[in-house]
Amino acid sequence: MGAMTHEGAEASVGSAEPTRWARAAALFVKWRDGDTRAMDELVRLMTPLLWHVVRAYGLDRALAEDVVQTTWLTLVRRHESITEPQAISGWLTMVARREAWRVGKLQRRADPTEAESLEPHLPARESAEQTAATDDESRRLWLAVAQLNERCQRLLRIVAFEERPDYARIAQDMAMPIGSIGPTRQRCLGKLRTILEGDGWGGDSDGD
Amino acid sequence: METEDFAADAALFARMRQMWQDVDPVPADLVDRMVATVAVEDLSREYALLTLVEASQLSSVRGESDSATLQFSDGTTSVLVHVTAAEDGSRRIDGWVDAATLAIRLVQAEREWSANPGDRGRFVFENVTPGVARIRLVVKDAEGEMYDFQTPQFEV
Repeated sequence: MGAMTHEGAEASVGSAEPTRWARAAALFVKWRDGDTRAMDELVRLMTPLLWHVVRAYGLDRALAEDVVQTTWLTLVRRHESITEPQAISGWLTMVARREAWRVGKLQRRADPTEAESLEPHLPARESAEQTAATDDESRRLWLAVAQLNERCQRLLRIVAFEERPDYARIAQDMAMPIGSIGPTRQRCLGKLRTILEGDGWGGDSDGD
Repeated sequence: METEDFAADAALFARMRQMWQDVDPVPADLVDRMVATVAVEDLSREYALLTLVEASQLSSVRGESDSATLQFSDGTTSVLVHVTAAEDGSRRIDGWVDAATLAIRLVQAEREWSANPGDRGRFVFENVTPGVARIRLVVKDAEGEMYDFQTPQFEV
């Protein structure tokens, strides 16, 4: 890996591009300094990430959209209280996770079977075209991930999308001891690898 | 952790990212709607000003039998607003925008109201306090370009 000088480089695994974390921080600082359009770019940059983090909590798509929106409105209303503008990416995902957790609890209470057993396991297939477009490798990987328990699925999805996962906060939000997040993550990855190996993952010629 | 393990984990996480992007993609217009929602909420933003092009004779609503109609435009985008009084003295604002509207908000000094832009640019604000107000909105043109506007203040 080459020398990387900018902040946040440690998370970028061999890429010379500024990380999303660093870009988000730069945009937020620009916006605070009076460039109102920088907010548009920040919203464009971070909304897809927030979507995946929120969906990790098993919320249906409509509720997930609401949570993403609440997260942005919280930023606009409370930005003055943000003391570390460099950590804006983590601040946003934290707000999104907490809101998703809160809303998810209400959803589960309102409709226990739907929310607990079905939603987290069903990917959204909105149209036939989309199903056809879904890459075969993705489908097989999804089927493997779907065999993991709910907690593993959630943790892996959050870690996959957050560039700098904040284990202390994730632990708090998922009601797990802090020290267990790293090992849990490895255990979940290990289980996933076992399932994938059992499926003959890596040989691309088999299957359909 | 060994560098090799770290790289293998990172590769697997990258594949999982791709997988979730495939099986559970971000809704097509979510990003635009979020940009618009934040824009109408952001008080520090400078909006292009629409001008009042037409107003009904009655410029303000005093009672239940009154109504006022105003039209604002910048030459390309027009907003039509119809104000009526409800029984309880609050105002109802029915409006129409001749462009795809992503977010719309009614702003008064003390309070703000959001509306869900419906089909064909229609929107409604209910239980609005009588007084001075303005509307902020974000629209998208046929090319997908987004514009934000605000009306001058008007009395409701």
